[in-house]
Amino acid sequence: MNAPYALDTEQATTAKKHRQPIKLSSLRAALPRQLTAYLFLLPALLLFALFAWLPILSSIQMSFQNVQLGGTPTWAGLDNFELMLRDPVFGTAWKNSLEFASWSLLLGYFVPVVIAILVREMRHGKAFFRIVYFLPTVVPAAVSVIIWRFIYDPDGGVLNELLAQFGIARQLWLQDVALAKPALVVVMTWAGFGTTALIYLASLQDVSQELFEAAELDGATPFQRIIHISLPHLYPVMSLMFVLQVIAVVQVFTEPFLLTNGGPGRETLTPAMNIYNRAFIRMDMGYASAWSVSMILVLLVFSLIYRYVNSKLMANTD
Amino acid sequence: MDRGFFSNVELRTPGGRLYYTIAVIALLVVAALSLFPFFFAFTSGLKDSTEIFAGGLNLFPALPRWENYGRAWTLFEMPRLFGNSFVIVGVGVVLRLLVSSAAAFSLSKLKPFGGRVISLGFMLTLLIPSIAYFVPLYTTIAKLPIVNISLLNSYWGLWLPYCVDAFSIFVLKTFFDRIPSDLIDSARVDGANALHMLMYIVIPLSRSILVVLAVLAFVGLWKDFLLPYLVLTDPYTQPITVRLFYIADDYSVNLQMAASFMALLPPLVIAILLQRYMKIGLTLGGVKG
Repeated sequence: MNAPYALDTEQATTAKKHRQPIKLSSLRAALPRQLTAYLFLLPALLLFALFAWLPILSSIQMSFQNVQLGGTPTWAGLDNFELMLRDPVFGTAWKNSLEFASWSLLLGYFVPVVIAILVREMRHGKAFFRIVYFLPTVVPAAVSVIIWRFIYDPDGGVLNELLAQFGIARQLWLQDVALAKPALVVVMTWAGFGTTALIYLASLQDVSQELFEAAELDGATPFQRIIHISLPHLYPVMSLMFVLQVIAVVQVFTEPFLLTNGGPGRETLTPAMNIYNRAFIRMDMGYASAWSVSMILVLLVFSLIYRYVNSKLMANTD
Repeated sequence: MDRGFFSNVELRTPGGRLYYTIAVIALLVVAALSLFPFFFAFTSGLKDSTEIFAGGLNLFPALPRWENYGRAWTLFEMPRLFGNSFVIVGVGVVLRLLVSSAAAFSLSKLKPFGGRVISLGFMLTLLIPSIAYFVPLYTTIAKLPIVNISLLNSYWGLWLPYCVDAFSIFVLKTFFDRIPSDLIDSARVDGANALHMLMYIVIPLSRSILVVLAVLAFVGLWKDFLLPYLVLTDPYTQPITVRLFYIADDYSVNLQMAASFMALLPPLVIAILLQRYMKIGLTLGGVKG
């Protein structure tokens, strides 16, 4: 160990323990520096206050108020929340959210893991696969839905034409109650799987090659090496990606808004879309805010459960 | 020697070769699916308006109509839409990086009182879904408190909210923390003020991370839909993502496809040319959590 550095840290910790009370004279000396420090922070503080902190607070406040656009807000107590819980749309929207999350995990959760493991093994063309899988990620949803709308088109759409080659009947992909959700999830998965696969791939590059060599010498088959080396290495990232994917799907707005507008019926109506409808079409900001607060609470509870389960799992493996 | 779970020797055995071939085919199939919508938009844009609805899998048009792209370019008024998008996104990226660098520099090197509380405040915005406070955000833009100015139908109504990005601040702060304080202190002894330090020491040393964040911000802001959709109601000022969706239905499908394909090109070109930076940016995003 390096002696002088060790001494330094020791001094630093003792200095911290016996911290002097702030003297007025030292405060005066620090004042100009503090002024500059805050001058540099000022734009960010102002903008965060205006466009993030105040809106967050006012969202909570408005959920207890009766706010129509243009009118003066009046206190409404828990009326908005009562109304929300009695609203049949509440159950429908959250049920849709849950189904979206399940579909997206089913169709999209393991695909990036498999892709990352396969690409890691490529001896040539890694860069090609990386860029190709990543390209859909940069496409604006507002543009890709125009293309997907035509892929799913009941007459002349390429998906039905392809299925017709195999003698499968035409489907109304976006209008059919049973198909609309998976059809939307396919679009979201297409737009998102590349990013996740690249994150797994980056993580896999850190696995030491000696580990695989040692396993090979011990007679582990290639498949066993994946199960016992590659996958365990990915578990922490996979658990994080699980949470991020669920959180992203719960907030989903643009794809159902532009592709199905919540239809057929209310099959693809999500809580985020209902917030939009209530606030900007029916102009009932108070009621929309009650939904916003419910969304914050749901995601908060989900994160807390995740952290609890994760810490339990961590404790078990140690 | 580079190896994965297969060693290079194993890959030359029949089993290894079989595995490798299957893996390559699987990856190519996924690559084809991934690229299909781009390809489909491109070739559909080359068809004429009856051919596009002809049955069967006619992916390639018999007679490519390149003039569709020219017509879509003028009918959709693409130059103006691209121009609007570039102004909105370009200025947005620059302002976001300026505001974030200044804040990160202050938190990292100037040690303001209450810096930890401020950092927590920034962090909060990463934890709360933005759609949950979208409604009051809109009312704020429609009528700024105290000054009572409306930013609706003004690019400032997008640029200012776009500056709010805690992720950039935290990435930059982590990066600035690694710049030795000795460097800053010696500059201070030489009489440099804080602005000089930021401009001549900190920013030049952080060029690579700034490019990464700029690319991420460019792609992210180019994709934004809901905020410009609500803030800009004047068709002359709308970015391409919003306007294209509004007017797509007014034209035949082949022109829609041609226009969509052209609209995809700028983010695609940026992603391909700057993929090295995007890759770094993605891993930053993964670590963020």
